[in-house]
Amino acid sequence: MSSQRAPQRTAHRPLRGAGRRLGRVGAAVAALAVVSTLAACGDGAGGEEDTSEPAGEAADRVVLVTYDSFALPEAAAEEFEERTGAAIEVVARGDAGTTLATALLSAGSPEGDVIFGIDNTLATRALSEDLLDPLPEGVVDGVPERYRLDGEAGERLAPVDTGQVCVMADTEWYAERDLAPPSGFEDLADPAYADQLVVSSPVTSSPGLAFLLGTIDRYGEDGWLDYWQRLEDNGVRVRPSWDDAYNTDYTVSGGDRPAVLSYGSSPPAEVVFSEGERTEPASTVLEETCVEQVEYAGVLAGAPNPQLAAELVEFMLEPAWQSELPLTNFVFPVTDVELPEEFRRWATTADEPLGLDPDRIDAGREDWVEAWREQME
Amino acid sequence: MIPSPAFPQLMRRRPRAAAASGSVGPSRTGPRRRLPTVGGVAVVAVAVAVLVPAAAVALQAVTPRDAQWYDALARILSSGRTWRVVAATVAQAAVSCALTVVVGVPVAWVLERYRFRGRSAVRVLATVPFVLPSVVVAAAIAAVLGPSGLVDARGTWWPILAAHLCFNLAVVVRTVGAALAALDPDLEPSARLLGAGPVSAALRVQLPAVVPAVAAAAVVVFLFCLTSFGVIVVLGGGATTTVEVEIWTRATRQFDLPGAGVLAVLQLVAVVATLSVHAAITRRGHGTTKERGGAGRRPAGAGDRAAVLLAVALVLVISLVPLLAVLDRSFLSAGRRTVTNWTHLGSATAGTGLSVSPLDAVAASLRAAGVAAALAVGVAVAAVRAVARRPGGPADRVLLLPLGVSATTLGLGLLLVAGRPPLDLRRSWWLVPVAQALVAIPLVVRVVLPSLRGLPGSMLDAAALLGAGPRARWWRVELPMLRRALGAGAALAVIACLGEFGATVFVARTTDPTMPVAIERLMSRPGGAGFGQAMALSCLLVLVCAAVISLVDRWARSGDGEALTF
Repeated sequence: MSSQRAPQRTAHRPLRGAGRRLGRVGAAVAALAVVSTLAACGDGAGGEEDTSEPAGEAADRVVLVTYDSFALPEAAAEEFEERTGAAIEVVARGDAGTTLATALLSAGSPEGDVIFGIDNTLATRALSEDLLDPLPEGVVDGVPERYRLDGEAGERLAPVDTGQVCVMADTEWYAERDLAPPSGFEDLADPAYADQLVVSSPVTSSPGLAFLLGTIDRYGEDGWLDYWQRLEDNGVRVRPSWDDAYNTDYTVSGGDRPAVLSYGSSPPAEVVFSEGERTEPASTVLEETCVEQVEYAGVLAGAPNPQLAAELVEFMLEPAWQSELPLTNFVFPVTDVELPEEFRRWATTADEPLGLDPDRIDAGREDWVEAWREQME
Repeated sequence: MIPSPAFPQLMRRRPRAAAASGSVGPSRTGPRRRLPTVGGVAVVAVAVAVLVPAAAVALQAVTPRDAQWYDALARILSSGRTWRVVAATVAQAAVSCALTVVVGVPVAWVLERYRFRGRSAVRVLATVPFVLPSVVVAAAIAAVLGPSGLVDARGTWWPILAAHLCFNLAVVVRTVGAALAALDPDLEPSARLLGAGPVSAALRVQLPAVVPAVAAAAVVVFLFCLTSFGVIVVLGGGATTTVEVEIWTRATRQFDLPGAGVLAVLQLVAVVATLSVHAAITRRGHGTTKERGGAGRRPAGAGDRAAVLLAVALVLVISLVPLLAVLDRSFLSAGRRTVTNWTHLGSATAGTGLSVSPLDAVAASLRAAGVAAALAVGVAVAAVRAVARRPGGPADRVLLLPLGVSATTLGLGLLLVAGRPPLDLRRSWWLVPVAQALVAIPLVVRVVLPSLRGLPGSMLDAAALLGAGPRARWWRVELPMLRRALGAGAALAVIACLGEFGATVFVARTTDPTMPVAIERLMSRPGGAGFGQAMALSCLLVLVCAAVISLVDRWARSGDGEALTF
């Protein structure tokens, strides 16, 4: 450490000179403060205009808070804008779990009007902190009973799409090695398939949490941790998000793991995104591992545009939005609209997918995740 | 926590001699009520702004979700995983610290002992990563040890250790260098005269004399690594985690606020313990102090030249290579040389994980940092006299508070407090600058304080004798003489605020991210289009910081000389 040095030189400068120089520095600091305050004020005012429209004037946009792999159905969004005069702006901050937690932290002072992407594994958490306003009555009437939630949750969350979270295997990778792809849970824990599976974390990703619930359904509350232990012994890799697992680690995307936790609708996505290169999907779905997932939308309490927000949730259940969902987000609509050709041919759905009912999920979720972290991390 | 180049001075007490002859001598008498009031208000405001959020987080620890008040405590403290994370946190901090000392002390020794062309450039270079935002340093290491780098070491501790070494090298080089420079120049020749060889003189005479400085630097590095956040969030990839990151994960991923509260209290205990160790070390003071003139001699002989070469090579590899790698990767997209990362900075790109354009983030950063720095300087100017009057007194301690509370705790706490009715500030633009200003205040105070203490009392006495009242003395005598320190403090505050990540990531709105927040978002999408843009944005941030740091160094070197000495 240096010694305390008295700044003799500075101290003995003539005071007037020093004063002048202070004047310059002081002026600079003051100018900095004024300029940045003005800039910030201007922006603050602008922000206010953007977020809270004065009453009586139609807002020109409605903000949709969602996870960052969400793809806005563009044609439907245009139709919505034509009808209401409001453009849909998407705000995303991470995966579904992060989106919900961030929304909960800003509950009452939301970053948007509508939240979409809360799934059945997280639905009950969304009811804490007064996060959501009740939906207009009758919004979900057209949705089959089995996707709807009971009680308070049902009044605040509208089911928008559904899908199945499944493990799938790289067909070609196994064919090249003359191996049969794994067929279900037991194979994944079989040493013959060691170091082949990559899943996403139940802490941060919603398919990860759905898969965890699937293992609880399959092996029971006494056996699921043992199963995970066997997976760990068999070299399962856990990545923070579906993106990491599928787009980085899966052999189809150039990674080193031929089995990945993804969706039953990934096979049609593989064909569509290959832009003609593939005529067949690259992956085989392990139907035994499929867990049902339903995604919901709700109006954020304190939304700057509650009226538009309710209209948007309603619109999400109309045919325009519903029929565009499959090929934009690779999920199934919850209402009765026609599925695209690719979906009818290649999407795999288990007839009896795994899953737990919401009350059981609500009671056990935090403890299960905690127990999983304790064992796996 | 934002590291500060001035940090190692934090716990230094004012020498008694200086206290006796200090500028604030005649302050107990006379009608001096007004100034202390302004300072007092500033000090109280800082105390409230730090303690209330911290208390809000701590309270979460005992706010049960369903049953008992101690539920969260029992759950977190009885979990084996918690203690594994705590052990990993301490272990990585200890290893990073050891690594930095092992590399830093020889480099400092060479830089002080030998005079060679480019020495000051090397010294500045070693300092650069330290004043860069932690997220940028992490991005730089990711460019070298990441997917497109030399070795893909993701998911291991190596990139984190490397980033900590890169980041903290300056602490050791500057602190130990200053101590070596302050050694009696006759020490080594005397030892040689008495028969000690060059190595023996260095190891047995010079090194023991700077042990307190080495220890102080080591503790500071340990503290920074203990509370390291941006580096681990960016490089840990979700697999490697520390207490600080775990607080963030629990709050923003699991919405487990009680759990986050318990961990924040654990973290607080660890930080306070480390700070006390630092205080104990620095209180003991350092060896002989005698100014040395033209420091260092020309390297003579092969051994000398090898030592210089090795030290320069180390600094180049640790500090320069990662920065060059960032620049290189910013012109790489999907394996091809391109400028698209730069040309696309002006627009939001799909699939990058960022829903606004990176340039919006630049604007948001500059705006927030400008307001925050102005706030921090204002508070520091108002409060610094109160600190100088009673070193180690309540005001001194209060202005250190923001450093004792970890950045994530501060950010989460501000978010919790700001959301309480009737005052919901979460949507207002004030929250980010306030969070950043809190982190910057201790830095400004610590830069200004030594200069204020060093002001000769005679000057003030003369001013008083000539009829200047207390206020006139402060505005027209003391402040003008502090201008350099204030300028340096303001620049440091701007840098600290520009790079602030731990608190900002909590309070910044998704639609209004600052540069470090945007870089983290871009980096969090592996292999995506975001990586190159993160690199380009990092370069921009480096440029801004480089401009400010060269300014600071000029201020510091031409003036009071303490701003960048540890």
